[in-house]
Amino acid sequence: MTGERRHPNYVAVWYWLLGLALVSVSLSVLPLSHTFTVVLVFAAATAKAWLVALYYMHLRFERWLIYALALVPLVLFGILLLVLLPEIVSR
Amino acid sequence: MQQTQAHAPTASSPTALPTGKLGLWWFLSSEIITFGGLIGSYTVLRLAHPEWAEAAQHLSVVIATVNTVVLLTSSLTMVLAFRAVDRQEDPAVRTWLGGTVTLGLVFLLIKALEWSGKLSAGMVPGVSGFWSFYYAMTGLHALHVLAGVVVNAVLLLVALRGRLRPVAQRVEMAGLYWHFVDLVWIFLFPLLYLS
Repeated sequence: MTGERRHPNYVAVWYWLLGLALVSVSLSVLPLSHTFTVVLVFAAATAKAWLVALYYMHLRFERWLIYALALVPLVLFGILLLVLLPEIVSR
Repeated sequence: MQQTQAHAPTASSPTALPTGKLGLWWFLSSEIITFGGLIGSYTVLRLAHPEWAEAAQHLSVVIATVNTVVLLTSSLTMVLAFRAVDRQEDPAVRTWLGGTVTLGLVFLLIKALEWSGKLSAGMVPGVSGFWSFYYAMTGLHALHVLAGVVVNAVLLLVALRGRLRPVAQRVEMAGLYWHFVDLVWIFLFPLLYLS
């Protein structure tokens, strides 16, 4: 269904994306613990991904079937990580 | 605004979704697995090989940050092209599509320069697991960027010839693919350059 289209403020989203990218780079050069930095950097990346998916890809306005197509492979990705986890644990 | 040819109904009746959009998301779903396999494997192996951090130090955060800004901006221009299609603003469609193609080419040029620098310094695929993954992931991503540039360039040509209106929904489809390519980079950037 593409009759009534909603167009959010794309430029505002872009500012947020740039801001999050800048925060990520800044965090990586600060003298913080490595684990803390990595967690924050990937949190910022996830936030950026959500913004792109929800607003640029219009997932926010799509039906549940599209959500399922987007989310199911992410679940499989999570399973892949779990399956490979013993590779780290055993070392 | 009345329903225009830009939104020519091509709905799949069982799902009430345009078939093109359903098909494209199905494709993106498989692409998530493709990249997810590489990213997941790299993530686990990277944790198991802390010595890879030394190799990662050779990567330039500055170059990657510039490329990140380029790709994020190209997503903006792509979605603005999509909005211009909806508003039937043909000159704006051409401008934003042109911007997207240009930024895609800039990304590829910067990536090529980055690769040539690394390769000439002996950091070739196979010299370590890190570099194998680096070239595999960024290479696969760059191929996807190239494909997107070609698709967008074709749409731009069609728009320049004034023949986009009957097939205007393809801008949305191309946009979904382009934003996905951006999404992959959003994760590759911190994974390779900031970790």
